Amino acid sequence: MQNGLINVLLADDDEDDRLFFREAFEKIKIKTRVKTVNDGVELMKHLIKNGNELPHILFLDLNMPRKNGMDCLLEIKRNNNLKDIPIAIYSTSASEEDIEETFVKGANVYIKKPSDFGTLKKILEEVITINWQYQTSGLNREAFLLNR
Amino acid sequence: MNLRAIFTSSSFIRNILVISMGVLIFTFSISYKHTIGLGKSTELLIHSYKIQLNLEQMLSCLKDAETGQRGYIITRDTFFLQPYNSARSEVIGSYYQLKSLIANDSQQKNNLDSLVIFINVRFSLLTRSLELIDEPEINITDLDENMIRGETVMDKIRNQINKMIVLEDLHFEEHQKKYTHEIYFTPNFTLFLLFFSLMVFGFSFIKINNNLIDLKKTNENLNVTTESFKHAEEIGNFCSWQWYIDTNRIIFSDNQYGLLGCAPHSFEPTLENFLEFVHPDDRHIITDGVTLALKESKPASAFFRIIRKDGELRYFKSVSRLAELNGGKLYIGINSDITEQHISNMALEERNRELEQSNKELASFNHIASHDLQEPLRKIQTFISRLSEKESLNLSQSGKEYFTKIQSLAIRMRSLIDDLLQFSRTRKIEKTFELTSLNLLLENAKQELIQDIEEKKADIQTSELPVLKVIPFQIQQLFINLIGNSLKYSKPGIAPVIIIGYEEINADEYGFLKNNNQKKYHKISITDNGLGFEQQYSEDIFILFYRLHPKSEFAGSGIGLSICKKIVENHDGYILAESKPGIGSTFSCFLP
Repeated sequence: MQNGLINVLLADDDEDDRLFFREAFEKIKIKTRVKTVNDGVELMKHLIKNGNELPHILFLDLNMPRKNGMDCLLEIKRNNNLKDIPIAIYSTSASEEDIEETFVKGANVYIKKPSDFGTLKKILEEVITINWQYQTSGLNREAFLLNR
Repeated sequence: MNLRAIFTSSSFIRNILVISMGVLIFTFSISYKHTIGLGKSTELLIHSYKIQLNLEQMLSCLKDAETGQRGYIITRDTFFLQPYNSARSEVIGSYYQLKSLIANDSQQKNNLDSLVIFINVRFSLLTRSLELIDEPEINITDLDENMIRGETVMDKIRNQINKMIVLEDLHFEEHQKKYTHEIYFTPNFTLFLLFFSLMVFGFSFIKINNNLIDLKKTNENLNVTTESFKHAEEIGNFCSWQWYIDTNRIIFSDNQYGLLGCAPHSFEPTLENFLEFVHPDDRHIITDGVTLALKESKPASAFFRIIRKDGELRYFKSVSRLAELNGGKLYIGINSDITEQHISNMALEERNRELEQSNKELASFNHIASHDLQEPLRKIQTFISRLSEKESLNLSQSGKEYFTKIQSLAIRMRSLIDDLLQFSRTRKIEKTFELTSLNLLLENAKQELIQDIEEKKADIQTSELPVLKVIPFQIQQLFINLIGNSLKYSKPGIAPVIIIGYEEINADEYGFLKNNNQKKYHKISITDNGLGFEQQYSEDIFILFYRLHPKSEFAGSGIGLSICKKIVENHDGYILAESKPGIGSTFSCFLP
């Protein structure tokens, strides 16, 4: 972040969503470098591989083939090198169970994928401008779910 | 112990008999004493009489001697001297008899001694008279004097004897008096005892008779019970058996044979014979069960199949237990033919499995609705927003109109999916009831609707609501839907007034609440001044997807009120709608 560039990583198996995600960041004024992976296995490989710069924030879809988002969340939080990466859950579902479970397992924020591109831009901009170093969502259950 | 208990106790008769025996022995001893007394009295009379007789004999002997002597003096014939000669020995005989008779009487003894002295004097005087007469020269003066003295002594003797007789009479009377006094109470007392004994026996008789009647009644009741039990066994398809472990004797009730398709007592009641009817694969269940029950003396139950005599397969259940009876071991049990229940149970289980399956399908449908259906729709909407942002300038006027239509249809589809999800969530099986203030839930609902409320300038008047055990998020949803409904169907141009009322009511005031165990209900009513509807639709509006208004007038899925109904039913409550077109509607929720 020293050079003002924010490293954003998205793990999502849906091609369209990855497209919207990239396009949304292109429209945002803040400079970001967006990297996407297609599933959980790829995500963990990417994070653990030496030489790869760790992202400033990770957007994590829950429903993915091979290894789902919930398992990735657990693995990351157990890994001392990775556990401090802020994690934004990025999912179609907004079921109470999912929200509760990810909150308990240490995700920082929960984003329900919006159905409007304008809203998407607004939310993503909001999320990356939060200074996660001082924001510990664990203290604030109400603010966990960003968009209702 | 009260009096009644004493009379009815089993030891009563025994006590009565003991008392009766005592009374009999007492009566007998009294009578015995009386009889003995009577004998004594007779003896006493004879005793007195003997004394009197001897005394009088003495006197008459003396008189005879005296008279004889006089005859001799006059006639000089020795024949007259005979009484005189024998008198002495006779008097001495009487004397000894008297002496022995009065041995215990010192007074009479003294009297007798004096009498003997007088008699001796009299004899010596008689002897002297004879001597004087036999002298050759009779001295008349001496003889006269001697005769006169003899007469005086004789008077003394007579007096003495009289005195003794009177005294003896006195003694006798005294004895008699004493004895009469002694037995005076005896006849009365005996009579009393006789009556008492008669009473006791009479009472015992009544008591025994009553006991016999009771026994007979009990016996009859027992017969009725036995007979009823026999019928009950037949009606209830069960039978009973007893197995006396010590003697290895088994008793089957009649219906045991009946349930096996046999005539009563058509075979020897043994475990082996019974096992013949048990399905070969299930025989070990019985033998193992028996072994376990006898070893651990715990109640045992077994489920097994029976092949009846006619070959029909029946399902049986048996419960048994080892019991102690009069120190012996008794193994008792009941066998029931549960074929019908078993078959219906199996059908029920099958239905349950089907239900579980359809529930699973429903759950996967929910997943499809929540995730798989939403995803393409969301993307369609995102692409629409992308298009309208980037490409709208390239569209013709009609193209733009079509595009707007597509947009609003996508929004409608989303709200349909959302509502459907909401509806399926309200029928979730896991429901957690918590004590919650309904005021708080109402306040939350108002917050959710704040935008609409402010937009329509609605006036919401709330009452104080109770704290109830409810599923909080569902009740909140109920308030949101009902208030939202009132806001939505308000009269155009008139600020909606929504009144939320609360009262506790008795179930018997409302016909449809009567059949429940609940006596009191909480009635929460939401009244508005909106468009209202015809009362005939008051039940239809709760049907899923039912709409009273065309979609063009009011957006909506027709699910909201169905959700309300579901929520209230989840709480074992009722919801009612009353309305008049143009005046307003009231929705009343009755919660237990």
